[in-house]
Amino acid sequence: MEFVEHATRNLFFTGKGGVGKTSLACATAVRLADAGQRVLLVSTDPASNLDEVLGVQLGYRPSPIPAVPGLSAMNLDPAASAAEYRERMVGPYRGLLPAAAVASMEEQFSGSCTLEIAAFDEFSRLLGDASATSEFDHVIFDTAPTGHTLRLLTLPSAWSGFMETNTTGTSCLGPLAGLQAQQKLYQSTVEALANAEVTTLILVTRPEAAALREAARTSGELAGLGVRNQHLVVNGVFQATDVADPLAVAMQARGEQALVELPEALRELPVTQIPLTSAGFVGIESLRNLGNLTDLPAPPPVAAEEAPAVSVGLGSLLEDLTAAGHGVILAMGKGGVGKTTVAAAIAVALAERGLRVHLSTTDPAAHLSGAMAGEELPTLTVSRIDPQVETARYSAEVLATAGAGLDDSGRALLQEDLRSPCTEEIAVFRAFAEAVDEGRDHFVVLDTAPTGHTILLLDAALAYHREVTRQSSQMPDAVAQLLPRLRDPEFTKVLLVTLPEATPVHEAAQLQQDLRRAQIEPWAWVINQSLTPLTVTDPVLQSRRQHERTYLDEVTGSLSSRTVLLPWHATPPTGLEGLRSLVAG
Amino acid sequence: MKHVQIYDKPMCCSTGVCGPQVDPVLPRFAADLDWLKSQGHQVERFNLAQQPDAFIANPDVHQLLATQGTDCLPLVVVDGAIVSRKGYPSREMLTMWAGPAGAATATLPVVKPSGGCCGGAACG
Repeated sequence: MEFVEHATRNLFFTGKGGVGKTSLACATAVRLADAGQRVLLVSTDPASNLDEVLGVQLGYRPSPIPAVPGLSAMNLDPAASAAEYRERMVGPYRGLLPAAAVASMEEQFSGSCTLEIAAFDEFSRLLGDASATSEFDHVIFDTAPTGHTLRLLTLPSAWSGFMETNTTGTSCLGPLAGLQAQQKLYQSTVEALANAEVTTLILVTRPEAAALREAARTSGELAGLGVRNQHLVVNGVFQATDVADPLAVAMQARGEQALVELPEALRELPVTQIPLTSAGFVGIESLRNLGNLTDLPAPPPVAAEEAPAVSVGLGSLLEDLTAAGHGVILAMGKGGVGKTTVAAAIAVALAERGLRVHLSTTDPAAHLSGAMAGEELPTLTVSRIDPQVETARYSAEVLATAGAGLDDSGRALLQEDLRSPCTEEIAVFRAFAEAVDEGRDHFVVLDTAPTGHTILLLDAALAYHREVTRQSSQMPDAVAQLLPRLRDPEFTKVLLVTLPEATPVHEAAQLQQDLRRAQIEPWAWVINQSLTPLTVTDPVLQSRRQHERTYLDEVTGSLSSRTVLLPWHATPPTGLEGLRSLVAG
Repeated sequence: MKHVQIYDKPMCCSTGVCGPQVDPVLPRFAADLDWLKSQGHQVERFNLAQQPDAFIANPDVHQLLATQGTDCLPLVVVDGAIVSRKGYPSREMLTMWAGPAGAATATLPVVKPSGGCCGGAACG
């Protein structure tokens, strides 16, 4: 593992959700700390799992990990950073300004825009300000799934560019105005990212076509930003021990095939392969073993145990989903758990009953067309909420309405404000509200972005809902109705998708809590890619199958009152035929 | 040349493009101020979230904020006198207050800090 042996100061782990970024980032951090280095491990994922993998409660300041001398870890907590940022901006004026004025300032600094800016500001500080991390030899970033990370990494360029070219001064810097002094910091962040002596980008993937495609895309986009020191890690490479187990043989073949078809963009990169293990990496000791895995003894065979009574396949959900005749079905959960596949399977099943269905996604990295394999149905439309397209559409709309009566310089002023990075947030949010609005007359199945992003979207919904109740004018109906609709169990059905593993289950449980705080009650849980309903004889797979049991019991026992199980498929369930098989079970 | 100061409510951007719906009044007023500047007047714009110091520095503004809360915003101040509250005046009103660049202005419809409305189209 070249990137560990000659580690640069900054190490970035990125990749599709569920590929093992957190485990690998932790294992690397433990390795470097064990070798005597002082290491800071940072998660930038709004839905961080660092705590669970390290087995400690982390805050948003570095805290030492007792079991690993030299290692400190922290979560970049956007809410906490935002609260701190808000206090920094507002605090000095308590007592100097009337209470009502202070309260209205606080309110202004509570939007999702502030949340994102605060997280970004903190991230820039860790990456661009050497004095902030001077007590560490290495800073390791465990990042949120790709879409969010790309955004985080492009912001230093976008915002420092915006501030440089913004000529009107009082124009739309929004909460960014307070950060204008930090422009230098953003500049050095961009430089640090591009310096191969300082930063290594580790693209983590599974030996699966979709994850490899995404790694290739990320590699290209980041190279475009100047991040060229890249390394590929293929995690979970499976070697069948029992060649009489057809599933094991198919699984190995599927991985090998994906690696043979390695996308062009990845072929030049140094590669590390990590074998699939019988259980996930949770806890320091198992992290210490990562990388030495070939020396581990094969797990002992496990006696077959009776599977818990959970319905297999999406079929049992369909009757109730169809009943209302229209509405919104949201697939939510951690990245990489198969939300896109589940959403597509439900959309196809409804459309094949002759119902009108619109399948869409808010995930910038989702591939609905891949799930459909290019196949079509007469009553099914497929689309994607594309941030660039939505931003252009929103800008055009604003110019045509609010900008209609303006003279040339007025329009130029408005156009300049519309180039603000906040515009994209608003545009995507409005597109989401419009998609939900469509559920009034037919079915809308939405595949959402990974948890962190979904939470931001919900925060925006809550913030705007407060604004709606305060001032009823000027609000598009789709936005005004969004939260009431998401809260209406007849209108919206939320499916929490997970894998039968620790982190995805616990992340979904956390999401369920967040949804409940927003008064949205999840409708059902879908446990995807389960070995439990299948017959396996390979020892690694048997042991994984056994390992699933804890999480199945946890979901059915305490988290969900309506659960379905989807079996693991030897070939990815894409196209109409593959998606149908998920319904049948 | 007149010195025109605007004291805004806490907001994200002066044109309002960051809200869920753009209020057309905001980009229009931003354009009007830009125009006023091009006429040679000195224009300053403060928003409570981002430049709270300005609200403290002006005793009249501070006083009004203390007695009426943020409802009195936005305030328009011309050469130190509050001429409008609670709304964005039209370009015509701005011209009346500021007059052509460099010229001495006629009588201004100034509102006293304790007075009623702004006396223009901006109320409501």
